[in-house]
Amino acid sequence: MTTPIIEFQHVNKFFGDFQALKDINFQLDQGKFYSLLGPSGSGKTTILRTIAGFNSVTSGTVLFQGKPLKNVPPNKRRVNTIFQNYALFPHLNVFDNVAFGLSIRHVPKDEIQTRVMDALKMVHLQELASRDINELSGGQQQRVAIARAIINEPELLLLDEPLSALDKKLRQDMQYELRELQQRLGITFVFVTHDQEEALAMSDEIFVMDEGAILQNGTPVDIYDEPINHFVADFIGESNIVKGTMVKDYEVEFVGKRFECADAGMRPNEPVEVVLRPEDLDVTTPDKGKLIVQVDSQLFRGDHFEVVAYDADHNEWLIHSTNPVKEDADIGLFFEPEDIHVMRFNEKEADFDARLEQYEGE
Amino acid sequence: MNTTAKRIYYIPYMLWILLFVIAPVALIVYQSFFNLDHQATIQNYVTYLTSSTYLRMTLNSFWYAFLITLFTVLISYPAALFLNQLKHKDFWLLLIILPTWINLLLKAYAFIGIFAQNGSVNQFLGFIGIGPKQILFTDFSFIFVATYIEIPFMILPIYNAIAEIDPALLTASRDLGATNWQTLIRVILPLTRKGITAGVQAVFIPSLSLFMLTRLIGGNRVITLGTAIEEHFLTTMNWGMGSTIGVVLIIMMFISMALTGEHKRKRKEIDTGATKE
Amino acid sequence: MQRKNRLGRVYLVIVFLVLYLPILYLIYFSFSSGSTMNTFKNFTWANYRTLFADTRLIQIVLQTLLLALLSSLIATVVGTMGALGIAASKRTSTRNLMLSLNNVLMVSPDVIIGASFLILFTMLGISLGFGSVLASHIAFSIPIVVLMVLPRIQEMDHALIDAAYDLGASAPQVLNRVILPFITPGIVAGYFMAFTYSLDDFAVTFFVTGNGFATLSVEIYSRARQGISLEINALSALMFVFALLLVLIYFFIQVHQSNRTKRNKQKARNAA
Repeated sequence: MTTPIIEFQHVNKFFGDFQALKDINFQLDQGKFYSLLGPSGSGKTTILRTIAGFNSVTSGTVLFQGKPLKNVPPNKRRVNTIFQNYALFPHLNVFDNVAFGLSIRHVPKDEIQTRVMDALKMVHLQELASRDINELSGGQQQRVAIARAIINEPELLLLDEPLSALDKKLRQDMQYELRELQQRLGITFVFVTHDQEEALAMSDEIFVMDEGAILQNGTPVDIYDEPINHFVADFIGESNIVKGTMVKDYEVEFVGKRFECADAGMRPNEPVEVVLRPEDLDVTTPDKGKLIVQVDSQLFRGDHFEVVAYDADHNEWLIHSTNPVKEDADIGLFFEPEDIHVMRFNEKEADFDARLEQYEGE
Repeated sequence: MNTTAKRIYYIPYMLWILLFVIAPVALIVYQSFFNLDHQATIQNYVTYLTSSTYLRMTLNSFWYAFLITLFTVLISYPAALFLNQLKHKDFWLLLIILPTWINLLLKAYAFIGIFAQNGSVNQFLGFIGIGPKQILFTDFSFIFVATYIEIPFMILPIYNAIAEIDPALLTASRDLGATNWQTLIRVILPLTRKGITAGVQAVFIPSLSLFMLTRLIGGNRVITLGTAIEEHFLTTMNWGMGSTIGVVLIIMMFISMALTGEHKRKRKEIDTGATKE
Repeated sequence: MQRKNRLGRVYLVIVFLVLYLPILYLIYFSFSSGSTMNTFKNFTWANYRTLFADTRLIQIVLQTLLLALLSSLIATVVGTMGALGIAASKRTSTRNLMLSLNNVLMVSPDVIIGASFLILFTMLGISLGFGSVLASHIAFSIPIVVLMVLPRIQEMDHALIDAAYDLGASAPQVLNRVILPFITPGIVAGYFMAFTYSLDDFAVTFFVTGNGFATLSVEIYSRARQGISLEINALSALMFVFALLLVLIYFFIQVHQSNRTKRNKQKARNAA
């Protein structure tokens, strides 16, 4: 096993009385695309700034390629950052912004010239080298920030919500480009975002954070399909979460009915929460449905209809339907056993992983 | 940045604070407790508080400063208001500022000519049959010239305050049925109170200490606190008494600053519009 | 509305007349061959000839300019370092205390500054003259420099400094290559203000200047007390033209700059 590029061991960080990071442990491997995903104030930017060297930790250890990072100032770390608002130097033009890191290190002039032009070519900006920063559009500024950060050939690139200032269309284009760039450079990206779609689309692995702690990490598919708790299920994607009881292995009860499911390893009759994704619910006639709900309202979303309906227990159900439904009509909902995801209360990630391993291995 | 490097570049500025900010204030307070024979005493304060001359002078000084400030506000507010309605208002504002770049003494000097016994104003008064009057070396001439000098310093903060008002507010006021006059009284005026306060601060305290004007324009008829300090320091060499009056002026300054709210900086700065708050 | 506008125009015309008449009056009489500002005799350049032949006055003008250049230069250096120091202080209370101390000289009346500096120089045994005047001008110019530079520092996105460190810059490099270029407009404005403060000052100089040294303001004061001399009128005319030129240059730079930013924004929009 190779040494992880970054490792956090029991890292805690206090700002005064406020605990920004709570016992953070993780390892990041070389050459992967990681996302730190969470609402604002969840501690994801604190982690980023800790890696970059702008924060010290209150306790715990941060290792970079196996060596402690403590006492290494930010300008000596082989890490570069793309800042949220790009932090481009307004007094320098595009070329000089990109050249900044090289000229700081007194790299010879002609080498700077070729390397800057190469970097600009990589982000398709070679024609704008002599432009002033304030003459660029948001998307162009974003590219300058990328070129400026990668020209130093960092081992690790940190991206602090770099796409949040762009409009939706541009943001989606940039998602492809960043992903492609990461694969081309082969270096590790750590991407901070509060946008779950962004994280799901780009990452090899996602860390979901809330209130200074990492709640769950895994591939986008794992996290989407097997959220560990209510917060993760709610934060990632849209979901219907109802209270239920785990009658026994592979059988769960909610809204007064028992259903076959794919989860196991819990106590009999343990109170649980049940997650059903809106796109996993198929609309059918009431007699064919596993659940019967009454339609309240629907919105046309382009590629689907978003239906809001209520069951007999007054739980709200969000359904993505390809066809329109009649308002106030009773409809049946059909779903497969594997569409049901059962979550225990207060389950830690390690236990969750162990339980999953245990019955999925069977 | 490491702390030692920080301290090194900070040293000259700290020395300045110590030597030219703290020391002078301390020294003027210290000096106020000495009489002409360099003996420590509170006699200066006793003299000040019991002498009707000093007290009357203080009140007078206050009264003049009050009148100057009042006239300046009355003239400046409409001017600032109308300036804001002009097309190239930045340019016209610059023209308001321009006279402040002319040395104050030259402006005072101009009025010596204008108000002189045979000067233009008296020629005009003679022409329309009123006949020449003594204008120079009167209270009137002092207040007139002081007001003249202070007007730009009052127009600027008020102008800025008016310029900052969101035009939508004025439209809203009209929309809700207010007349122009009602909009002025109930919307514009309350929103520009800060500008007026800033202007009053920029004008009132300096008006207490315009000793050169009292000398050149007021003759020796008008004595302000500033004049008294100058006289004690440079003519009678009674530094103790001069410092005592200085301390009184400093106290007044703090009182007026406390009364008018937040502290405002000197005038030139408002002047260039460099501090856009 | 129309009527009100016209009334406003009339009012403004009167204000402008009052503001400019005394100055124009001075200039007008600078071309008079008489000896008073009462009646205009004949047109003449004689007052200007006298002015340029008055070596004492020319020398004073040069001294005043030198004093202004020198004092504002030193004040700008010290003030900029002070502003950097204040901005770097971690606790808000320290920063507020420093700012209050900084502003003491800004709000104090000139007589108080002059009188207290006079006591200071006397106590320290410094003789009055060019040195004491220079020290005083530096002293009262420093706070204005701080007030011009500090907002610029605070306006600076802290991420720029982080970015510079992130790209490998050392502390001195961050200062030289990022912070100083960014705050340069503030420094220039501060220098400019300090310069005009120095040129304009009368009261403080009047207190701390000895017999051997005079600035233009002090000289005009003493001459004005002796009565009218049309040479002074000629001088004011020249100073007015000088001020006018400065203001016009300042104005056109501003217009040019705002046009430039507008153009740039347009370009950016087209590019987007």
